[in-house]
Amino acid sequence: MAITQAMTTSFKVELLQGVHNFFSGSGGGSAGTGATFKIALYTSSATINATTTAFTTTNEASGTAYTSGGNTLTNVTPTNPSGTTAITDFGDTTWSTSTITARGAMIYNSTQSNKSVAILDFGSDKSSSAGDFTIQFPTPDASNAIIRIA
Amino acid sequence: MFTEEMGANISSVKVVTTNNTGLGVDHWADRATDHIISVSADAPPAIREQAEAFKENVRSVMTYYMKQAILSERTTICGTLSSQGHNDIAEIIRRI
Repeated sequence: MAITQAMTTSFKVELLQGVHNFFSGSGGGSAGTGATFKIALYTSSATINATTTAFTTTNEASGTAYTSGGNTLTNVTPTNPSGTTAITDFGDTTWSTSTITARGAMIYNSTQSNKSVAILDFGSDKSSSAGDFTIQFPTPDASNAIIRIA
Repeated sequence: MFTEEMGANISSVKVVTTNNTGLGVDHWADRATDHIISVSADAPPAIREQAEAFKENVRSVMTYYMKQAILSERTTICGTLSSQGHNDIAEIIRRI
């Protein structure tokens, strides 16, 4: 049982198949309408890693103010901030007034049959108690953005 | 023959949690400012200084207006509670 941080292998294949569209909202011209991405939390009992292909409720976190499936993310239209690297980003997300303990998370595409995108390992259990549980995404630049293709 | 190596990478997130309280205005103002302006470590010193000064200005403006928004929201909540007869709870919220 372990959570191993990774961009899932199925996601890499599906990127080349054109399955995932990170465009923010609709009206993207040839980019079309972006998908809805969500983030679900998992306990330390979960086994999720690069081989995980889709969202699962097995060992998903639970607690006050947490609903199975997690939060919907606000995606930022992919850009090329500098050099030859393309990135995409998400806005921070918060479970307010929550009591939750989680060790990791899964970003997945709820528009495309809940196909997995990435597994995040928090490094240790993180807990909120009648407070905020916030996931803070890294600076959206070519070196640090959450998802980068260089 | 032309070949190019590509790499798809993922970064780590930071998790921030609180107990019996929410995150403060300063936290959210910092986050908003960091998303609006990022200053390259490689930028020439003069440009970097100017950008950092501008970033501080943006942070101050964000902080001020976020506080105003919170006060407005609190007024709305207090008004709703008072109009439904919960004056004691409204007063507790007003004093936060």
